[in-house]
Amino acid sequence: MLREIARLVLVLGTICSLSAASLAYVRTSLADRIEMQEDFYVRGPALERLFQRPAQELLAEKLTVPVGEEAYPVFYLLEAGEVTGLAVEAAGKGGYGGNIVIMIGLDPRNDSVLGVEIVSHSETPGLGAKVELQGFRQQWTGLTLDCPVALTGDGGRIDAISGATYSSEAMVDGTNQVVLLLRNHREEILTLIGQRSTDPSGGES
Amino acid sequence: MNFRQTLTHGFWRDLPPFRLVLGLCPALAVTAAAENGLGMGLAVTFVLIFSNMFISLLRRVIPDKVRIASFIVVIATLVVLVELVMKAYFFPLSQQLGIYIPLIVVNCIILGRAEAFASRNPVHLSMADGLSVGLGFTMSLTLVGSIREILGAGTWFGLAVFSEGFEAFSFMVKAPGAFLCLGLMLGLMNAWSRRRGEIFIQT
Repeated sequence: MLREIARLVLVLGTICSLSAASLAYVRTSLADRIEMQEDFYVRGPALERLFQRPAQELLAEKLTVPVGEEAYPVFYLLEAGEVTGLAVEAAGKGGYGGNIVIMIGLDPRNDSVLGVEIVSHSETPGLGAKVELQGFRQQWTGLTLDCPVALTGDGGRIDAISGATYSSEAMVDGTNQVVLLLRNHREEILTLIGQRSTDPSGGES
Repeated sequence: MNFRQTLTHGFWRDLPPFRLVLGLCPALAVTAAAENGLGMGLAVTFVLIFSNMFISLLRRVIPDKVRIASFIVVIATLVVLVELVMKAYFFPLSQQLGIYIPLIVVNCIILGRAEAFASRNPVHLSMADGLSVGLGFTMSLTLVGSIREILGAGTWFGLAVFSEGFEAFSFMVKAPGAFLCLGLMLGLMNAWSRRRGEIFIQT
């Protein structure tokens, strides 16, 4: 009896471990390639809409800024040695179907927002998925990111989507992560960009 | 069943989803376009061939009591593999199919073939069975997808098939169109089989 139970555990355990090991291997070896595809198909079009420039040009200029456990992908636009555009990606927490990944485009000279784009979300179609609509997102255009934003219900300026408070809060959360990132790491980001633009090899990827 | 029968039974005699009446969820959900049907069918074919292979190889090792759990682990591993490869090499397709790729794990065809065929037949027959049923499923899904895309959007694999004046019958690419199309095809196939005096499962 005991031997039989031991056999069940052993067989199922072995199958599970083999499966976990092979998946971990495939996941790590394909991670770079998947990241590239996401850049090309998702971030590229978002950047194009934010800066009105061809995506290839903008995707080449990618930085990753690690803060604590998070890593924020940052894209930038250089004109005559001056950074005239920054796009920061952040994962807004608290969405109804998980994180809402947004990309905020802004002008670093005066911190005014050029626009916000949704990189990925898994909100309910017809409710939370309305965060993608231009009518909701345009509330970001022209905001100044020197202080955190909030929904009108919390005394802020962003009107939530009715029936989709969680999704709206996730958008605000993502935005505030970008506000904090800029407040605490602005110099670091600009230095990184400076190093990159003077280094013809393009620095680390 | 001999080898030749095993290799061809999925094309008509056990054609999924019409004859087995299994795997209806993806057949209804992703067939709004021919390309999606083809992609889904090929993903299922890959999973079927290799899940049948592993399960047939392990059929004497896996104890009866944990066989369903073991089958599911094998199938889920292959599905996640397909999902990762699709994201890395066919990203737009993986976005189109979305949640239905991970849901292949609970596609009854795969578990059904594992339980009914692979767990009691040698490896080469099991793989032939997976190939046959998988390709049959791919054909069916591509066909349903083609009909819905041509009528509902006026295109086939994204290419326009009608002249400008065609008013697309957009009902067909929505959910009710899937039921209508699948139901009519199932009915036609059954009528045809009855005329020829074939015996089929859903008597």
